[in-house]
Amino acid sequence: MAERELELIFGPQHLGMIGNLSISLNVEGDTILSARVNPGYLHRGFEKLMEYRNWIQNFPLVCRINMIESEPVEMVYAMAVEDLAGIEVPERAQYIRTMIQEMSRLSCHFTAAWAYTSILGFDTPAQWAMGDRDYLLDLFEDLTGARVYHIYNMPGGVRRDLPEGFEDKLLAFLDAIHNRLPDYNSTFFENRLFYERASGIGKISPEDAIEMGGTGQVLRGCGIKHDIRKLEPYAAYSDMDLEVPTREAGDAYSRVLVIRDEMVQSVSILKQCIEKMPSGKVYEKTPNPFKWKIPKGETYVRVESARGEFGLYLVSNGGNRPYRAHFKTPSFVHGLVILERLLKGANIADVGNIMLSLYVIAPEIDR
Amino acid sequence: MDRNNLIKWLKEPKKMGNKYSLWAVYFSTACGVIEVPPVLTSRWDAERFGVIPVATPRQANLFLITGYVTTKTLKAIIRTYEQMAEPKYTIGFGSCPINGGMYWDSYNTIKHLDKFIPVDGWIAGCMPRPEAIFIGVTKLWGMIDKGLATGYIRYREHYDYYRGNQERLFGSMEWPPLYSLKEGTHDE
Amino acid sequence: MNDMVDLLKSIFKGTDARTLGENRLSVTTPGESVLAVLDYLKASGFYQLKSISCVDWIDDNEFELVYHVASLERPLHIMVKTRIDRDKPVFPTAMSIFKNAGIFEREMHELFGVMFEGNPDLNPLFLDNWKDIPPFRKDFDMRKYVKDTYDSIPSFEEYKWQKEN
Repeated sequence: MAERELELIFGPQHLGMIGNLSISLNVEGDTILSARVNPGYLHRGFEKLMEYRNWIQNFPLVCRINMIESEPVEMVYAMAVEDLAGIEVPERAQYIRTMIQEMSRLSCHFTAAWAYTSILGFDTPAQWAMGDRDYLLDLFEDLTGARVYHIYNMPGGVRRDLPEGFEDKLLAFLDAIHNRLPDYNSTFFENRLFYERASGIGKISPEDAIEMGGTGQVLRGCGIKHDIRKLEPYAAYSDMDLEVPTREAGDAYSRVLVIRDEMVQSVSILKQCIEKMPSGKVYEKTPNPFKWKIPKGETYVRVESARGEFGLYLVSNGGNRPYRAHFKTPSFVHGLVILERLLKGANIADVGNIMLSLYVIAPEIDR
Repeated sequence: MDRNNLIKWLKEPKKMGNKYSLWAVYFSTACGVIEVPPVLTSRWDAERFGVIPVATPRQANLFLITGYVTTKTLKAIIRTYEQMAEPKYTIGFGSCPINGGMYWDSYNTIKHLDKFIPVDGWIAGCMPRPEAIFIGVTKLWGMIDKGLATGYIRYREHYDYYRGNQERLFGSMEWPPLYSLKEGTHDE
Repeated sequence: MNDMVDLLKSIFKGTDARTLGENRLSVTTPGESVLAVLDYLKASGFYQLKSISCVDWIDDNEFELVYHVASLERPLHIMVKTRIDRDKPVFPTAMSIFKNAGIFEREMHELFGVMFEGNPDLNPLFLDNWKDIPPFRKDFDMRKYVKDTYDSIPSFEEYKWQKEN
């Protein structure tokens, strides 16, 4: 240890830390020499818990892996079970699934905008972002009955059909946030102060991003057009007109701008969903959950969550519960590998900045 | 402010001060925190109730434990709780700190939070709605009024019990006891 | 995809490859050729190691290591699988091929007790002060552990009752 080097523990109880995560930093003056992320504050052993519950009981469990965006987790689990059991999902259910995926992506991006702005001290857009997100949560409540954990996906479709007048409410909300976007731009995304704080911070090269297993905004922020929705369309994404926004610089600022452009894309996809929504039934009947056994097999399914690729490796040995489940979460690599790398040489004041631009969500690391 | 409240303020300024300035520790314990930002921001605006988040536990007197508690987090919670100045109040938010909730058979979460630190009130549900936080806070007001929110006194008086449980779970503790382990030596 | 199956089968002896669904390929290979297969896949465009899983086949007394590799251009996702002895779970690290392999190995080391030779950092990741067998093994009885560790701690009422009597 150099003479003036000291260890600084950042988190879990810290105003600059969003989530329950601890980073120990070796600093000299204001500069970080090396960082080590210390996760595990939220480890519940989900994959073990799943082995003790039957296929249907796992639906209320898995969505709790990620409290900010529970839909992709439900979605991968539903898709994996459908794949193993060979269930076809009706078309209307696919469209509704696409719709709630995008709604949850929007709500996750709003949360990120809140966290980012409140950490950097832009308090006005922080209040707006949380307020706007609540309109979305009201829509979720209307649709599923819950604000945070929806448990709406079921094997073979979704739990219930859209309530009456839901499309109109959603359209009104989409128009409202479309009109608010210039306000967000002027106070946050295109604000000179924010540009100065975020540009050039946490820079990563495309080669490193690929090599270290980055997905989502980490890749798109350095110019790689990678999106599971495009690469391997699931649900109804193959019918949607979708652009993958990218930026070249690879720094925190470009990653945040990618997030903004994705919000615009989500709004467009939601409008297309409402427009093209077919009629029909919303779920396929499945066997009695207590006696339901799924044939032996294994599968890997993946979806594009708000933060990157979310995957699930599911193994069945022919029983009434999963034999092994393993989640591939985007924050695991982003938080444990890329964050440690990007913090090297950064300023102490930029820890929260870099962490949020990588979109690290602690419960997803720990599971 | 009505007349009764004013009289109360003049009679018991300390109690009223405690009641209306419940400053919460900024500690996102677990998944319940996702309902805390809406409560703090424009839609529900917790500042009406005197609840604001503060950076350090030294300034705080409300500890909102949001969600399941893993053994690793419990250590951080105990250290944070012991640093808070008295009087201090704890509210368990969500089903998980009450009895384990969803994670009743998980190997890494503790099931009953009140075995390790005293808890003054519970908010049940997963997730509880933001309004539930306000109901919890107003109930806590009533308890402070009647002198029932005495968790911190219980912690002091029965420190041997709480510390014993903590040591039983962690094996060895990295920090010395806050109070003397002989009971009854800490009367107010 | 079928060209990939034939190619892998012809290059690596003892390797079996089969397709699972549209874009999934499952490659089973003996332990000594795993790193060679991974190296070959990386050279042919599968740049990203997505994850390393481990499955405990307790009836066969074996652990199955699953390496998930994927390409960014093609929708193909390949699972390279190998089985190792459950009583002596030692396997060489893949850090020389994929830079991010270390963290997955650290996780599997903690949850299954698989020893990855050559990985310098196998410190505990999630668990604090863990003394039992690795928790994700099938012979670890979670509910019994919970009963012994958490439920046996007395509640405040029990403690008071004990003191009074």
